[in-house]
Amino acid sequence: MAALSFLVLGSTSGWAALGQPATSIARDRQRMGGELRATAALGFSVQEISSPDGIVVREYVSPAGQVFGVSWSGPARPNLIDLLGDYYPAFQQAARPPIRRRGSLVVRTGPLVVEMGGQMRALHGRAYLADRLPAAVSAAVVR
Amino acid sequence: MIDRARRLVAVAAAAALGACGGGGGSPAAVSPPVVNNVQPVQVDLGPAGDYVNGLFTSVTLCVPGTSTCQTIGGVLVDSGSEGLRLLSSQVTLPLAPSTDGAGRLLANCASFADNSYAWGTMTAASVRLAGEQAASVPIQLVGASGLPETPADCSAGGTADDTVESLGATGILGIGVFRQDCGPACADASRVPPPVYYACDGSGCARTSVPVSGQLQNPVWLFAQDNNGFLLSLPSVPALGSRTVSGSLIFGVGTEANNALGSARVYVTDDFGNISTALNGATMSGYLDTGSNTISFLDAASFPLPTCPGPESDFACPPATASLSATNTGRSGASGAVAFTVANADSLFDTGNAAFDDLAGPDTGDFDWGLPFFFGRKTFTAIEGQPTPAGIGPYWAY
Repeated sequence: MAALSFLVLGSTSGWAALGQPATSIARDRQRMGGELRATAALGFSVQEISSPDGIVVREYVSPAGQVFGVSWSGPARPNLIDLLGDYYPAFQQAARPPIRRRGSLVVRTGPLVVEMGGQMRALHGRAYLADRLPAAVSAAVVR
Repeated sequence: MIDRARRLVAVAAAAALGACGGGGGSPAAVSPPVVNNVQPVQVDLGPAGDYVNGLFTSVTLCVPGTSTCQTIGGVLVDSGSEGLRLLSSQVTLPLAPSTDGAGRLLANCASFADNSYAWGTMTAASVRLAGEQAASVPIQLVGASGLPETPADCSAGGTADDTVESLGATGILGIGVFRQDCGPACADASRVPPPVYYACDGSGCARTSVPVSGQLQNPVWLFAQDNNGFLLSLPSVPALGSRTVSGSLIFGVGTEANNALGSARVYVTDDFGNISTALNGATMSGYLDTGSNTISFLDAASFPLPTCPGPESDFACPPATASLSATNTGRSGASGAVAFTVANADSLFDTGNAAFDDLAGPDTGDFDWGLPFFFGRKTFTAIEGQPTPAGIGPYWAY
């Protein structure tokens, strides 16, 4: 049990990463120093954290309390190592295709879909797990 | 070509007369141009030898107030960002690092849409493109030695654009619709600045605000003349592409005989540099960007064409070339359809060519008119706050 606690604490440096329980979102708010706003929708809920530096992160939570999608917007990206959590290594590997794509970036690897783009003053992106979408919820809700 | 020859004659004549400056004359008068405003640009595989749809040029920079200069080739021309960023490994000029009021090193972090970032020191240089010169321009030296480690909120899980191999270029010439890279959002000392500007000392780097005049500048608006924007003229390319394409970056919009707007339609952008683009009933934020190498639109789930198998799944791979049309609408209401084709990206890459007008892929809900859009067109970019014969920028016209 002690070992488990240690493991959990060891992975809590960041946001409520993709695929993790939503209980850690309060910690994310603290980390970003931002304001948390929660909204309920049909079949899922959204927790939005607005940071004073202009970066907004939204976390999409299933009825079972799991983060199935994240999105962001602002003048810079949030830290994707934290936001993608266990899925970051797969993303990082897949994000380097043999032919360099410049502009927006779309990565699909296994169930993970990551899309990022926009212009320098208004970057935005999203990531979702195609196999964790709640029943009757489309990936299009992750915005 | 005729235009260019004529202009060179005019430059020679102006030099012989000892003429200098003089760009501030009456805009209505047809006066002979005093500087060459035509900068050659080329689409090729770039200095790393592997760039597809990269638009490159040479930039001359000088130590401010001196004739100590250096010309650097292989710089990517990017109308989707602002500011000149050069790999420090390419710069041999002795340029003094910029500091803040407390003597701390000023550094900049560029977050690009494709998850790459550029981290480097701020410095100032005079910048020359064709015959146009900007006297003292804040620029970024990417990967400069002596700079503290990249802050975690700058790298943010992205990849570093700090070598010719990783960037595919020796630097980025950002000449988009804005005057600065960040603008007011990074200048307001009363709020938490975004992770763009940093002040660094022995203990590390911390975010800081920087007045707009000290931020990275789009060099074009600081030119003595022809400073309201530019015209990019690129020839058409065949369906399977070209190994190299040569074109012209002509400075000024309606300032000289060679950059008249003519019948070009003006698409005014919003405060973020977007217009509106509609395709198949979906309306997206749209933008024109020479620094994007595809035409990309919609997203992975809604993209209407098959994407390539394997690691190149962010490119479209239709079995046969597809013809599409999208409609751009500017903020002032101007609207027009743009027809384009999408070829199989794997077939295009197999040619070994560098320039393709039919390379596309999914986006993230936006419509990104990347370099393929610019082939076979004359496209104007007008910079924010700068007057032109068709009104004040920012806008695109084509």
